[in-house]
Amino acid sequence: MTNARILGSLRNAFLFFALITVLFPIVWVALASFKTAPQLNDPSLLFFEPSLLNWRFVFEAGILEAAGRSALVAGITVTISAIAGSGAAYVISQYKAGGAATRFGILAAQVLPPAVLVFPFLTLAYVLRVNDTLLPLIFAHLSFVLPVVTWFLIGFFDSVPKSLEEQARVDGFTRFKAFLLVVLPQVYPGLGAAIIFGFTLSWNDMFYGLILTPSRSAILPVAIAGFNTFRGVELGSMSAAILVAVIPVVIASFFIQKRLVQGISGGAVKY
Amino acid sequence: MTSVRVFQFRMLLPLLAVAAVAVGLPLFYALYLSLTDFSLTQQGPAEFVGADNYVSSLTNDGLWGAIGTTATYVLIAVSFETVLGLLIALSLQKQKWARDITRAMLLAPMFITPIAVGLTFRFLLNDQLGAIPQLLRSLGVSYDFLGSGNALFTLAMIDVWQWTPFMVLLLLAGLESIPQQPMEAARVDGAGAFYIFRRITLPLLVPVLSVAILLRSLDALKVFEYVYATTRGGPGTETETIQYFTYQTGIQFFRLGEASSMAFILLAIVLPLIIFLFRRLDRSAHR
Repeated sequence: MTNARILGSLRNAFLFFALITVLFPIVWVALASFKTAPQLNDPSLLFFEPSLLNWRFVFEAGILEAAGRSALVAGITVTISAIAGSGAAYVISQYKAGGAATRFGILAAQVLPPAVLVFPFLTLAYVLRVNDTLLPLIFAHLSFVLPVVTWFLIGFFDSVPKSLEEQARVDGFTRFKAFLLVVLPQVYPGLGAAIIFGFTLSWNDMFYGLILTPSRSAILPVAIAGFNTFRGVELGSMSAAILVAVIPVVIASFFIQKRLVQGISGGAVKY
Repeated sequence: MTSVRVFQFRMLLPLLAVAAVAVGLPLFYALYLSLTDFSLTQQGPAEFVGADNYVSSLTNDGLWGAIGTTATYVLIAVSFETVLGLLIALSLQKQKWARDITRAMLLAPMFITPIAVGLTFRFLLNDQLGAIPQLLRSLGVSYDFLGSGNALFTLAMIDVWQWTPFMVLLLLAGLESIPQQPMEAARVDGAGAFYIFRRITLPLLVPVLSVAILLRSLDALKVFEYVYATTRGGPGTETETIQYFTYQTGIQFFRLGEASSMAFILLAIVLPLIIFLFRRLDRSAHR
């Protein structure tokens, strides 16, 4: 065998090992969600008669309501972010509006530790008597979803030539109509990716939810964490609850992977 | 103002308005809180205490312990993620067969909610019910993953499981966007694969590599869910990370003024990283 062939087999073996490492925990949780309590005591059990008891239990415990609240928060957050972010990203990219200070603010807000903002949100929620409702949570999620969505869109607007808007202006469009009807449709794929990614970020966040909506309006990640302490560790039902949270976003993520890089780097890395 | 300026301002206004309420207001309120003795359980108005919270936070051994723990965690996790991410990206770049599905599956962990990842590993690593300790026992190995001395490393490995895909994503993009001619020229001149990687590919990859490392480090600093799901800071205070420590001060002890001062100390530590990241990204995006 030549060196190149040996390197090739090593590479395949390595990728196979990586794939197993990624899939093993996911498959494990999926199996556990169909096991009864006695079956869970035997981790090596691979073939067994599947039981739907865990699934019935999590549905009765209100996992779908928690998922609904998560979807509502993520939906509202990402809609506001897309509307406010697309106009701003357009003028930041094409007109250099706002300068370096605005761009720095947008990036800094994305990576700001949530410990900085969470206590003011909690205190204000108490003062305004909206504690343990979804309203403060929506504002908290806007603090990171809005900058991420805007940053994504700046990257996508950067790849649209300025001449497109100029041509539309010659054709009699106002600046706003040129943006809305001519330039924005060019970045629809990027906008779609930004919306799905922003939704995922809000859907996956637990820290703000744990502090701002700990009980009555618990969102999905907080509800999942609840299975950890409720009557000891309910491994089977916890596994079912985990899958409820994981399946929709992992499927959605398949559609946006190609555009993520350009978005995350704000156009600095093209794919 | 010219009409162009008016247009720019109107387009920016919604973003600025939402950001003022969602980021600006809480940021300034946090600054105010950090200068008072505000506590959720205390009756009556909070009193202005000046820099007292900062003095007590800065002299709090627990906070410095948490900063050290977090730094160790980030260093271990991000180093493993960088090396593994680079190896996987290089392998994927050459791979032809079942390309898209392999990539999609390898990237999946980064889209899972971190609390689910934490609980999954708590389950997998459980001494009695977990698959991994059982597998190891059948091989005659006994290892306490969440025990004293091992717990922080285990948490870092959970981070590696979830976030190596992020490195792969960015590095693969970097690899596929760098020009191929220098590598081909070197190959024609008889250079070996390792030499080409070290002297040509790696230097060309440095901009993307540094951005990926910075983004990962800034995110790993916020680690909370894995600690909450598995160790709750223990054994002792071994896995008390800064975000968890601040959460405890604010939520379990209701000392919001002190917790806010800790958050600003954290911010002061990460600010240089954020500035460095911005200069990296802004320079390459606006060439």
